[in-house]
Amino acid sequence: MVATAQADHGPRPFPADELAVDLTDVTKVYAGRVEALRGVSMAVRRGEIFGLLGPNGAGKSTLVKIMATIVRPTTARGTILGQPVGHRPTLARIGYLPEHHRFPKYLTGRQCVEFFGAMNLMRRAARRTSAERLLEVVGMNAWADRRIGTYSKGMQQRVGLAAALVNDPDFVMLDEPTDGVDPVGRSEIRDVLIRMRDEGRTVFLNSHLLGEVELVCDRVAIMLKGRVEVQGSLAELTQDSRRWTIEFEGEPPASLTPFGPARSTGSGTRHLIEISQGDLALVQDAIDRLRAAGCAVAGVHETRESLEQLFLRLVRDVDGRAAAVGAANVVAAQRKEAGR
Amino acid sequence: MSAFDSYAPASARVTIADAAVQSWAMLVAAYRELNARKLFWVALALNAVVILAMAAVGIDENGISVLGWELPIPGLTTALFPRADFYKLMIESLGVGIWLGWLSTILALLSTASMFPDLAAGGVDTLLSKPIGRARLFLTTFACGLLFSTLQVATFSFLAFLLLGLRADTWEPGVFVAVPLIALLFSYLFCLQAVVGFITRSAVASVIVTLLFWILVFAVDTGETITHFQRVASRLELEMVDARLAKMQGAAGRESGERLRTETVERLGNWSLANDIALGIKTALPKTNETADLVRRALAISAGIGPKPDDEREVRVDDSGIMQRTRADRRRVELEVRKELDERTVWWVVGSSLAFEAFVLGIGVWYFRRRDF
Repeated sequence: MVATAQADHGPRPFPADELAVDLTDVTKVYAGRVEALRGVSMAVRRGEIFGLLGPNGAGKSTLVKIMATIVRPTTARGTILGQPVGHRPTLARIGYLPEHHRFPKYLTGRQCVEFFGAMNLMRRAARRTSAERLLEVVGMNAWADRRIGTYSKGMQQRVGLAAALVNDPDFVMLDEPTDGVDPVGRSEIRDVLIRMRDEGRTVFLNSHLLGEVELVCDRVAIMLKGRVEVQGSLAELTQDSRRWTIEFEGEPPASLTPFGPARSTGSGTRHLIEISQGDLALVQDAIDRLRAAGCAVAGVHETRESLEQLFLRLVRDVDGRAAAVGAANVVAAQRKEAGR
Repeated sequence: MSAFDSYAPASARVTIADAAVQSWAMLVAAYRELNARKLFWVALALNAVVILAMAAVGIDENGISVLGWELPIPGLTTALFPRADFYKLMIESLGVGIWLGWLSTILALLSTASMFPDLAAGGVDTLLSKPIGRARLFLTTFACGLLFSTLQVATFSFLAFLLLGLRADTWEPGVFVAVPLIALLFSYLFCLQAVVGFITRSAVASVIVTLLFWILVFAVDTGETITHFQRVASRLELEMVDARLAKMQGAAGRESGERLRTETVERLGNWSLANDIALGIKTALPKTNETADLVRRALAISAGIGPKPDDEREVRVDDSGIMQRTRADRRRVELEVRKELDERTVWWVVGSSLAFEAFVLGIGVWYFRRRDF
């Protein structure tokens, strides 16, 4: 697959100055020779919403944590916002919401957001103004002066989002940002992300909610077993799965035989034929043959894989089982191999 | 340049002003955490109770009284204890020695026990993603942990200052020296608790290890005190033997004197060796008792309070002219020991303890910098 070649070892797909994240050969071997990342290369353009997907244990969180300097890579080449990964001052331009965050329960929502503003080197007036604005944006103004210990999971997530954005970051990494948030809240958070992209910021979204990712992300990467399996826009990634369906009235003519058998829709004399290759010339040819045979073309539909279908296809092996995922499984596989 | 070299370059630094913003924010957050803990307020109230209990005790030329009730304790009057010394002694021995030096410190250890396990267990993610170095994050968190003890001692010192002023007409700012000294004492123990708590992620384990360590420190300190006492006692006995020997006339008496002298020299040698070993071990450990004792030095409490030593005592000689071993006067030994302890410099007491603390914190920082979360 083209996207795979570009993702892991191919040439950089975009000019360097367009990239917010430009990683090459990021590896992480934990103690005990557990390989969590096995040479990840990834490019995220400035001003896009980028989705990182993968089954549990694929190495997504490790990669995000390396970018946030929480985990030290075994090897890492590349840049974030034009600076080497781990460049400390650059962290002040990055927002981060971890998946299993534990914000201090004794702080109020406002205090928490302002605290993280200070940790991002913001001066008092700036962080107060920013906290006030963001608490309004995430719909927490009414509860801003109550302690976080009294918040629901969704409320904590909203405050966490405000805390991640308090420094007005150029690049935001959000790990499951809508976890525990109600549908209305999710929609609001999506709006925030889209607004950020429209303002030219880069959003890096790590989420299990494929529908959500599909709704907001410009490009995605899917990780498997510590590697980026594919990355690109949804259109690019599903290019190979593109197919055309032509619906027509009348008996299928013999001239359609090269396109495969036509199926009845079960509604009168209506039939349909599927053209699995994405070439439009073939579609035109089929329509011409139908017209020549006197059939009325009722509709032409383009279909392609959804993100979920693509994801499931990638993470399942030929037997339909979930692919071996996670560092633990990698170790198990290595042990098994060593035992042979 | 290896691939890993591009990670966190050493040149990446934030300014002092930036560091101050972060440190202040962490300190304020730590204060808010304390504020939210009941134990903090209970301990603060107990400070007031301790001072009120001391204030309830009075002393005059007739004796001492509690809440106005005269207690018939002979000799305990202002003739022996000037009022200011009486209250200073109470503040030093009960307030600092027992309350701050032991009970309040244990409360502080319990109250701050979860700080580092909490940091290791989840709170660290969001902090590490900020522009703050791991070493500074660890050490600033440690400094925030000292806040509990510092605020407690500051409250106690202020109340003690009022007690001395109102009850003994002595406005003694020296009591405030307890604030940095007791905070130091707490920091000797808290450093270990912090590192153990961070590594094990268990508040209970960190408290247990710290208290066991404190017992070890206490045992070493007690051993050093005993051997020091015996060493001084042996030295004074030797001086007594030498003084008596110079006056001895008869051959039998001189022979017994030389024998007694040899025994005393041997005893002095043994106690000196034991004391040197104990002192060597103690030097490497934090000096909790002696740090608390620096408060007494600062308050200039006279070591001479109490009965006078028997300076006339000398080696007994029996009827046949044979020298008998005589123990040095206990009070004289105590005063001599006290004098020698006071000669130990503040730099030795505090400096060697801080060296231990720096070593332990160094291990913590090293571990923190290497660890993934």
